[in-house]
Amino acid sequence: MTEEEEDSSAKMSEDVKRYLKLDTRSSAAATSEPPCSSSSSASALANNKSRNFKSFEPPCPDHVLENVLENVLQFLTSRCDRNAVSLVCRSWWRVEAQTRFEVFIGNCYSLSPLRLTHRFTRVRSLVLKGKPRFADFNLMPRNWGAQFAPWVAATAKAYPWLEKVHLKRMFVTDDDLALLAESFPGFKELTLVCCEGFGTSGIAVVANKCRQLKVLDLLESEVTDDEVDWLSCFPASETHLESLSFDCVESPINFKALEELVVRSPFLKKLRTNRFVSLEVLHRLMVRAPQLTSLGTGSFSPENVLQGEQEPDYAAAFRACKSISCLSGFRDLTPEYLPAISPVCANLTSLNFSYANISPDMLKPIIRNCHNIRVFWALDSICDEGLQAVAATCKELRELRVFPFDPREDSEGPISGVGLQAISEGCRKLESILYFCQRMTNGAVTAMSENCPQLTVFRLCIMGRHRPDHVTGKPMDVGFGAIVKNCKKLTRLAVSGLLTDEAFSYIGEYGKLIRTLSVAFAGNSDRALRYVLEGCPKLQKLEIRDSPFGDVGLRSGMHRYCNMRFVWLSSCVLSRGGCREVAHALPNVVVEVFGSDDDDDDDTVTGDYVETLYLYRSLDGPRKDAPKFVTIL
Amino acid sequence: MEGCPRNREIGPKLLDLIPQGRKWYQEDKNNIDQEKKLELRLGPPGGDEEDHSAMKKKNNNTETRNIKMESEDKSFQGFNSNHFSSSNKTSQKRTAPGPVVGWPPVRSFRKNLASTSSSKLGNESSHGGQINKSNDDGEKQVEPKREGMFVKINMDGVPIGRKVDLNAYNSYEQLSFAVDKLFRGLLAAQRESSGGEGEEKPIIGLLDGKGEFTLTYEDNEGDKMLVGDVPWQMFVSSVKRLRVIKSSEISSALTFGCSSKQEKMRH
Repeated sequence: MTEEEEDSSAKMSEDVKRYLKLDTRSSAAATSEPPCSSSSSASALANNKSRNFKSFEPPCPDHVLENVLENVLQFLTSRCDRNAVSLVCRSWWRVEAQTRFEVFIGNCYSLSPLRLTHRFTRVRSLVLKGKPRFADFNLMPRNWGAQFAPWVAATAKAYPWLEKVHLKRMFVTDDDLALLAESFPGFKELTLVCCEGFGTSGIAVVANKCRQLKVLDLLESEVTDDEVDWLSCFPASETHLESLSFDCVESPINFKALEELVVRSPFLKKLRTNRFVSLEVLHRLMVRAPQLTSLGTGSFSPENVLQGEQEPDYAAAFRACKSISCLSGFRDLTPEYLPAISPVCANLTSLNFSYANISPDMLKPIIRNCHNIRVFWALDSICDEGLQAVAATCKELRELRVFPFDPREDSEGPISGVGLQAISEGCRKLESILYFCQRMTNGAVTAMSENCPQLTVFRLCIMGRHRPDHVTGKPMDVGFGAIVKNCKKLTRLAVSGLLTDEAFSYIGEYGKLIRTLSVAFAGNSDRALRYVLEGCPKLQKLEIRDSPFGDVGLRSGMHRYCNMRFVWLSSCVLSRGGCREVAHALPNVVVEVFGSDDDDDDDTVTGDYVETLYLYRSLDGPRKDAPKFVTIL
Repeated sequence: MEGCPRNREIGPKLLDLIPQGRKWYQEDKNNIDQEKKLELRLGPPGGDEEDHSAMKKKNNNTETRNIKMESEDKSFQGFNSNHFSSSNKTSQKRTAPGPVVGWPPVRSFRKNLASTSSSKLGNESSHGGQINKSNDDGEKQVEPKREGMFVKINMDGVPIGRKVDLNAYNSYEQLSFAVDKLFRGLLAAQRESSGGEGEEKPIIGLLDGKGEFTLTYEDNEGDKMLVGDVPWQMFVSSVKRLRVIKSSEISSALTFGCSSKQEKMRH
């Protein structure tokens, strides 16, 4: 589409008309999120692309209007609202782009770094997500991609005032961290979630060079031990640190350096230590930082067991930390010391016991006092009895996650529908649940659907594949059907157990707000996939594994893929031909197929079978950094 | 990696057999139960101690349907036993079939709790979920991040490669049994599609050279060798991938691609 320079006021009405025409085939805006339609901002980008970015200068529009707009837009923070604003007309698009300081990119491959830096010139905060979630479970070969390197390189040049970087499932190297630390003098917040590729040496550079650093949060990331004392690398002067989380760092630390750092960090509110921090060390830290609001307690185990008065008074330390509202850690819990946290229980809003093998009897005296808890994570070692205790006290509970102590298919499974039902009856304000179990009933699931109308996230993982209701022997269709039907605010759903196409027909019929759907070992036929793709208009992220869905099912979603963030189908029944069909029909969608390995020898793959399909919309076509084992159709 | 049969000829045929509607899962339950009865196992017959679900209880009245189910069984087995992995319904505790990659969906740092938690449990309560695992070396060791040691395994005559988790086994016998379970159905399906008999025959004699097939492996130096010569742990630490070859082709399979490793051949 070629554009001509015209009088901008005459152009405005044309712009409005053009942008309001929702052309689904050309929609692929990565920086927008539903429920706002993303299609038009993509065509806006496409329009600009046809023009030379650098030489384009509009004939002077109404400066006053633009200035007013700029001032007004400063207050608009929601990216949904901003996307809507950018669609009004070209000059609004321009002003919005100049005033957008926080950019969210849900899939790093949906656009190139260059496009980002060309459109938005004053970014201060960048959120970037890379690999899809199933990569966490070894379903994606290593070296698939999602490198931070091109992004840090582009932003280093374009955004000298960048303050915040938040990455999820990206591959980040020490060099990337070094470049980041050197390029942004005002850098304040680094959060790395589920990332890998870097080590303690990269962290050391950030600690040392980012003098304005407020937040250094390493969450669930893989950090190699380069045997660098990174804690000593923080500047010797007072720091601006407000949050320091390194509980996923699997290497010993310099306790003295940490203590000294805490002493010279008066603004520190969140401190999450790793399992190498014993109770004694924790005690010393707490004594020096009574202002903490969030504490990751490390191992929660003493280095040396001393008798009587020689032992530090841990309960007193907790008593002194009057502001603690969030507790986690307990990586190697010594049960006798658990009661030490009692003084803070009444104020706790978040408690994470998910690394501690806690029995019901250990839990009950603690949870009895936790009336204000909103977020509770635990292992299934607390049993149904423990869940009943939670239900009896935690009336404000919003989020519950119960992980398996023994995550194998044939393990014991100490929790069941009994616990689930108890929670549903006691915690009526529940919004989000993740529940791993070995046995479940439709009755319990249905009860939850009726008792907890506020549910937005329901993720149930019955660990044995294809397991039906263990009381009736029937599939779990009815239970999940009740969830989608009764929980009208549901946006995220993960299903499991024995499920037929019927379950999916319910999802398609009632799951009108669902944005993320996870399916594994479920369904009978392509109809199931079709129900979902035709029935769920808000679906953005679809991840499916080991289910009997094939080309026919895939084809049924053609009209949707341009408006979704991604679709993942692994170990299903797809053929290359079927995937190629999608690739050819949808030029704005990148269709990747690959196996489970990094090596690309062909003898494990007959030409036609597709082990993994990963498709996503993209403004800039297929990526250039795909490794050999990935084929882009 | 466990997955669907990759042979196109199997796919459409089996999918056609899957009737629509609720009836299917009823039959599936029966088929799976039937498979249990028909499967070759190391345990004593009828010793099906493991009952994961109430399915078994419900199927008490299906004895009479067994005969009718049988013909569907055969064709289902190739698809079901591999894709829908009713392997979890066999006596897992005894033979430990390979777990599926990435299932249950728990991140690796959450997987080692059972093995690294020390036995410092203050109370003796015997409530269900309390698992007392004593960790002898309560050292600060780096938790292993890998959830299993998956190596690729291919079989002559079967285009589909699989993966096995060597950490799930403690002996060559267990591995050999797992290989049989993995490939038996696929091999039969492959033979059927190329005009031979589709009957499933157990794959035996993998380790002694007496069977139709022999198990070989490639080690970390790239050498191809027969499985079974070295102690199990040594094997596990050096193996990179496995291959099931026709016993008649042992000599050529082992020398191909190697410089001079004749001394490693058994014969």
